[in-house]
This record gives sequence, C-alpha cells and structure tokens, in this order.
Amino acid sequence: MSVLTISSRGVAITAAAVILVTLTTGCASTPTAPADREASLAAIGDGTLAPGRYDLVVRGMSCPKCISNVDLQLKRIDGVVDPKVDMKHGVVSVTVREGAAPTRASVAAAIGDAGFTLTEIREVPR
Amino acid sequence: MISRVLGSAALLAATPALAQEMLNMPAATAPSPGVVIPRVQARAYAFEDSQWLLEQTLRLEYGIARDLSVSADLPFFQGFFDPPQPSDGEFGLGDLELNLELRVLREDLNAIDTVRASVFAGAELPTGTNGFGGDSVDPFAGAVITAIFGRHGLDAAARYTFVTGDGLFLPIFASDTPDDFANLDLGYAYRLYPEEYGEERVGAWYATVELNTTWTVGGEYEVLLSPGLLLEAPRYALEFGVQLPLTEERENAPDLRLGLLLGLRLIF
Repeated sequence: MSVLTISSRGVAITAAAVILVTLTTGCASTPTAPADREASLAAIGDGTLAPGRYDLVVRGMSCPKCISNVDLQLKRIDGVVDPKVDMKHGVVSVTVREGAAPTRASVAAAIGDAGFTLTEIREVPR
Repeated sequence: MISRVLGSAALLAATPALAQEMLNMPAATAPSPGVVIPRVQARAYAFEDSQWLLEQTLRLEYGIARDLSVSADLPFFQGFFDPPQPSDGEFGLGDLELNLELRVLREDLNAIDTVRASVFAGAELPTGTNGFGGDSVDPFAGAVITAIFGRHGLDAAARYTFVTGDGLFLPIFASDTPDDFANLDLGYAYRLYPEEYGEERVGAWYATVELNTTWTVGGEYEVLLSPGLLLEAPRYALEFGVQLPLTEERENAPDLRLGLLLGLRLIF
C-alpha cells in the first residue's frame, strides 16, 4: 500500500505542477485554435463600425445565461447599444449609435470575453 | 436551522444570476472578465439512525481574464449526530476552498454546440470549527470537460486532493479521512424546455443526472447517484437535487441514506 501511495502521490504532484505551470503561464492566451482565429478575423475585418444596425454571427451560445454574458460585455463598448440575442440562429443584433465608431476588434474581443466565438459581422440594410 | 439556511438563500434571490452547470461537480464554464457569480447551495443529508447534517455553501466566482477565473467556497454546517460527533444542532464553519481555473479549450462548433475544457488547482484552508474542518492546508488539482450538443450536455471531471494533515477528528464523508482522495464525476443534462431556442428570452429547464464518486488511497469510497432539476434564466439559475448512495465504504462514519439540495446562482 505504501508503494501505491507514494506512486499515486508522485503522479498527482506531477499533474498538479503541470496544471500550476499552465495556470501561471497560459492565462493570457486564448484557447481558440490559431487557424480558426485567423479565419474569424478575416471575416470580421478591421476598422470601425459606422452608425447603424449589425448582426453578429456568434458560435457557442448554448444556454440562457449566455445572453447575459453577451449583454454585459457588449454594453461595455462605447456606442454599442440594444443587443438582442437570437440563440437559435446564433445571431446577436446590435445598434451603433450616431457619433460612435467602435472598432470591429473591440466587438470581437467583447464576444470572446463573453466566452463565445464571433465569426462574422453583417451590416443590416436600413 | 433549515429556515435560516433557506432564508439566506431567499435574501440572495432578491438580487438579480448563471450556466448550464451540473449541481454537484465542476464545469468548464467561467464568468466573463469582471463578472461576479455568487452561488448558494443548501443541503440536507440524512444518515442512518435518524442522524442529520445541514450544509450551506456560499461560493463566489470572479472572472479575472477571458479564460481565467478564481473562486472561493465557504461551507457552514450544523450537525444532528449522535455524540461524540456534532450533535444537538451544533454549528460550525467548514474549510474554505480557494480555486484557480484556466480554460484550455474552447471549441464552438455552431450556434449552440460547444466543447470546453479547464484545468484547476487550489487548496482547502483549515478554517473549520467545531469538528467540521481539517487541520491542514490541503492542495488539490484537477481537470474538467464540458460538451453541449443541442439539448444534451455532458460533463466529466477529475480532481485529486493531497491531505497533508489528520483529516477530521470524526470523519463524516470519505473526503474527511487523513488519506489523499480523488473525486471522479460524470454528469449528463437534458434540456426539457424549450425544445428549441428562439429570439425571445426564456428560461430553460434541464433534467440532470450525475455520478459523484470519492476514492481515498486508504480504500474508502462513496458512489452517489445524483438526479436533479435545473432552471436557468439569463440572470439566475435554480437547482433542485437529490443524492442517493449507490455504494459506500467508510470506517467510523455513519452510513448516508439521502442528500437533498436546493441551490441558487446569480450573475452580475
């Protein structure tokens, strides 16, 4: 039993060390795969959003709490108001106020901070 | 005491809450940066010979960065055991648990389906009083994976705790012994309502079932079957659960007959 105990402790301590190193070195990274990230960035584009209505195509919103997460993060962006979430189709509609010019990158970051993946920003025709 | 426990939960319910998480095991979910999620769980355990244990655990979870969160769990206990274990409603604090969790995988497959995984590490601190806590700092580490496919959710978690002291003077659960122990948990959630999400904001009802197990290196163990019901709305979640022992082997501890759970989570 003592051999078993020492062995299990060794394995567990090694696992804990690996996890702690990961925790302390990996917190700034995003777990999204680089290839996906590049594809998403290409679809999102760069620059700013002009005043108007936009549909954000979002992946991974699997539960009602996701709505609150998206709300909270998008409302932190100056000029982005009135987010409406359609979970069935994975679309978040937002309005960009007159006089505001939020960047596309800030919108993508907000969706990422909420815990989801933004794949496309579509301007809704007036 | 039950009224006091439920009263505290009701006070928190008055404020605005969280995710498709199982009731009795970790999930690879995390609050967004700057978001605080309080969670209160009130439990009542019935043991052999009409002995009872009431537990109320307060959990605070905070999002530090996009994939990094920290949480603190502080349990309060009240025992109705036969002496010398805590009896006559003796009240005490349990051990404070601090936990750091890093999401290492987020694979969003489509509008709803997602697979996520996290690793976590932390420690149980000896804050217990009146025999409800250990006498040592006990570090732990583990990993959890959560997968959601349509109406189905799957969770699997493993955690190993290094017990550096003597455990509880009078153990109640397998995790109270002086031996290191592992928790292995499996969970399944099925969304009962709505069948499909729409554009409206509605709460979702889930039926859940978990297999919660504890195994010590000394050979003691518990295997619990835990069915439950979860109501999740955009800003709160309510949990109702039962825990049934399938098999257990513990020395110098009363046999568990049944556990009941009422929980509440909020999102700010």
